[in-house]
Amino acid sequence: MPGDLDVGGLARSLLFFGGKGGVGKTTLAAAVAVRAARGGERTLLVSTDPAHSISDVLGTALGSEPTLVGPNFWAVEIDPSVEADRYIAEVKERIAEVTPPRLVAEVERQIDIARVTPGAEEAALFERFTRLIGGLGTSYERVIIDTAPLGHTLRLLALPEHMAAWIGGLIGRRKKVTVLSRMWRNVAGAAAGSVREEDPILATLEERRARFHRIRAVVTDQRQTGFVFVLVPERLSLLETERAVRTVAKYGIPIGAVVVNRLAPEGSAGAFFDGRRIQEQERLATIRASFAAYPVFEVPLLETDTWGPATLDRIASYLSVS
Amino acid sequence: MTAGKIRTVWHAIRAKARALREIYEGLYVTPYRSQIYRAYLQERDLFLLSSFSDLLGAPNPVLFYTLELYPELIEQFHEWHVRMGMPQAPEGGFRCC
Repeated sequence: MPGDLDVGGLARSLLFFGGKGGVGKTTLAAAVAVRAARGGERTLLVSTDPAHSISDVLGTALGSEPTLVGPNFWAVEIDPSVEADRYIAEVKERIAEVTPPRLVAEVERQIDIARVTPGAEEAALFERFTRLIGGLGTSYERVIIDTAPLGHTLRLLALPEHMAAWIGGLIGRRKKVTVLSRMWRNVAGAAAGSVREEDPILATLEERRARFHRIRAVVTDQRQTGFVFVLVPERLSLLETERAVRTVAKYGIPIGAVVVNRLAPEGSAGAFFDGRRIQEQERLATIRASFAAYPVFEVPLLETDTWGPATLDRIASYLSVS
Repeated sequence: MTAGKIRTVWHAIRAKARALREIYEGLYVTPYRSQIYRAYLQERDLFLLSSFSDLLGAPNPVLFYTLELYPELIEQFHEWHVRMGMPQAPEGGFRCC
């Protein structure tokens, strides 16, 4: 099949594209998405980068809901601030029934305070991201995520593990409360009165933790998930990628491929390009040695701007094995 | 024995069993009752504290994921400050009353 992408890493159904700012991750993520959609897979391209440029690359306006941008092809740009507002509204709706009327105002005030705490937007972003990934296998066969610059993304990917651990601590505490509450009910009889049998707090916490575990299971599953590192053949990009590969591996997230972008094209001549090529060969040798465990793809610098389906398809052709 | 008689004897046995149970409770359970209650309240307060650590300036990384607990916990907070001898909610906490 002409549309076939490499079986090594780029064929996985959930791909994260990451790299230092400006190395071309958006373009490459879009290229892989265009190719997958053309191959007949229902594909969703997601941008979590606050500086959205997927709409620029595709040449289409996008919003915070998936927009159909071509046959089998949807794209969405997630705005953390919109997500945080949405999440807050949902929480208020969910707890409306269980809140005693005299506490409604105060509960809502507290939740509004939480909206402006640091971390709220990151958490909401993660929440949305979890939901979109949940669409894999039903709404979409492929989810391709153009991530924010590396540090931010790594935090986001480590989040489920850390949050699950913290909530695990709260669950432990809460279980002690339920054990003592049961003992109290046993000895107090009628005096225990309002102490209830089931504990809604414990149930909520356990449900939360289960969700973190589920998302963690998906992002660490190497049959379906791959992190794709994009870098340019320069020292700084290489050093950052080496560090990031170690971090990603530490979090147990499988690595799909490494893409070296903007290599001096074949046939380019002159002292400038000759100089670049010598340096690039050195860098490439290091890259091949450092990332020997993963498929490494090379994409040349193009003579044109990289946007629009035709150019993206051309870029994708460098990512096929055949 | 008639059915009526059986019922009478049965009731007598039940009454004796209840009396025994009360003696047992009086001897063994009652002294621990208040201790169990106190331990239960302490554990509940500790949970309240760990859920609202941010109010005391200690970061709570899961704050945003536990917002659904607010109605329940604010209710418990109210119960806590009343029990601590503060009929009105202390300044800086929740305005639960």
